[in-house]
Amino acid sequence: MHLPDGLVPVELALAGYAGSGALAAMALSRIKRLPDPSAAIPRAAMLTTVFFAASLVAVPVPPASVHLMLAGLLGVMLGWFAVPAILVGLFLQAVLFGHGGLTTLGLNGLILGLPALLAFGIWRAAGRRWPDMAALCAGSGAVVAALAIFAGFVLLGLPVALDASAERVALQLFVLAHVPLVMAEGVIVLVLLRVLRRTAPQMLAHA
Amino acid sequence: MRCNLALLFALVVGIIAPVHVAHSHAAVLDADAAQAIRLHARYDTGAPMAHAQVIIYAPDDSEQAWGLGVADRDGRYEFIPDDIAGRWLVQVRQAGHGVSAYVEIGEDAPVLITSPAPDTWGQRALMVALVAWGALGTALYARSRRGRSDASA
Repeated sequence: MHLPDGLVPVELALAGYAGSGALAAMALSRIKRLPDPSAAIPRAAMLTTVFFAASLVAVPVPPASVHLMLAGLLGVMLGWFAVPAILVGLFLQAVLFGHGGLTTLGLNGLILGLPALLAFGIWRAAGRRWPDMAALCAGSGAVVAALAIFAGFVLLGLPVALDASAERVALQLFVLAHVPLVMAEGVIVLVLLRVLRRTAPQMLAHA
Repeated sequence: MRCNLALLFALVVGIIAPVHVAHSHAAVLDADAAQAIRLHARYDTGAPMAHAQVIIYAPDDSEQAWGLGVADRDGRYEFIPDDIAGRWLVQVRQAGHGVSAYVEIGEDAPVLITSPAPDTWGQRALMVALVAWGALGTALYARSRRGRSDASA
């Protein structure tokens, strides 16, 4: 779910950079306030790779296919570190694979960064009392939020010449095609956190 | 005699007039050869961008679309550009996804100017491995520094 280069107006792309920059600044300032900010760097580095490589995994959903996002997983596992991790991952995806684009890096950072923070918030608020439910909601909710932000940006940047109603229908089909991904990412986060709670609960301390 | 002439005139007009009316519905076909640009839009998975919208901008007007259309079920679309040399901007988009590329039209054959992503699995695997190696190195470096600072404390 990446906005590519050349399809969004310049003003929207610049606004995306401004929003993403503000989000990154806020995340870095919160990271600095942590008791040991460097403690999560190894985990952030590894999960950045997982996020980067996950875009290559296409799940066939006839008639199209969808890519794994893992924004919820990063949010739960990394907390505020998820924002710089996602930005680095998106940059590498754009440069090396042509997924997304450099001009739309800011917008794509918001599309995935905000849902990651939403997942982090869900996990922090409800993770102790209802861990399974919180994990499921964090994973699935992040995909739903990413879809909503993506669709919002697409509709905001529609050129006048384009048939808006046809694009809206295509967007609805696109969202429907992602329903299996909503469930799959919820289950991925649920299973992973169950395993970590049993085997390495200290990994979840930060989140 | 005058009556016969009038009758003959009416007869001739009555025969010829319907023929002329019929000729006004005739069709004329001219044919000449023209160079068409044939587009084929696909997702990076190889799936065609079926029924995607196509927007074309001529080199002399980047604001007003020169042409609009819809690709077929295989993601194919053809258009014949006006005789304007330069870079024609072509956008194919569907649900926020798509591609934007230039078609250079000049004296030579049209050239598609775009930045294709690497599409072989070997290249992709190599890139993932390099990034994984970089992340692993970062993780180990951060861990070793942390271990050293813990030991010194």
